[in-house]
Amino acid sequence: MVKALVACRAGVGSSLMLKIKLNEVISEHKLPVQVEHSSLDGLPSFDGPIIVSLSDVAEELKEQGIKKEVVGIKNILDKDEIYTKLSAALKNIGEE
Amino acid sequence: MIERIIQEDLIKLNIEASDWKDAVKKSAQPLVDDNYITDNYVSEIINSVNEYGPYFVIAPHVALAHAPSEAGAESLAMGISTLRPAIKFNNADNDPVSYVFTLSAPDSDSHLKAMQELVGLLSGDEFYKVLDEAQSPEEILQFIKDSVLNKKIS
Repeated sequence: MVKALVACRAGVGSSLMLKIKLNEVISEHKLPVQVEHSSLDGLPSFDGPIIVSLSDVAEELKEQGIKKEVVGIKNILDKDEIYTKLSAALKNIGEE
Repeated sequence: MIERIIQEDLIKLNIEASDWKDAVKKSAQPLVDDNYITDNYVSEIINSVNEYGPYFVIAPHVALAHAPSEAGAESLAMGISTLRPAIKFNNADNDPVSYVFTLSAPDSDSHLKAMQELVGLLSGDEFYKVLDEAQSPEEILQFIKDSVLNKKIS
């Protein structure tokens, strides 16, 4: 299983909703991903390869040069967007 | 669950706001008045956007206004506001915002079920129609109760 961290600024709202939708996508497509969620403060202690966040937060993380596969989601209700981007991330880390 | 954290007086229809800050403030005010959140919590939402961008515009036309629990989320509640006209939150993908859900979550997991139900509501078309056409907060709350109780959403 690949660990993915869903992170948002507060860790109680957007990231939680994104985690719920992400888990729907993961179970529908049987993806080998295990999801955790936290605020951005949880990033340093996360040891998995994938970070998922809303697109603006994701852009900021990329600008900071974080050494993880960063997935930015524009519409957290859009399962197609989530699936496409998560699959691409899995490919990038050589998992699919 | 979600029907228990949204009270009728936390639902405001057709709010006229001058900009996104005003929209956030007006949407949050009922929660401040009922002591679910502090004034500081509202300031923190606005400060966070100034600092990090509009991170809580989560889907087309939908904002989930919230801040970290320690900013002043006193007890679990959610407010719903509809904006007329819709307001730009400077989120290129999902502007303009018509629906603001103000969340007060005092910890990281007591609202999990409610958020699951909110995701369910927002994933269909019917909820938006109800939000657009409701004449009163009761209608919205009744729709939410029916949806949850009839397990139309999971």
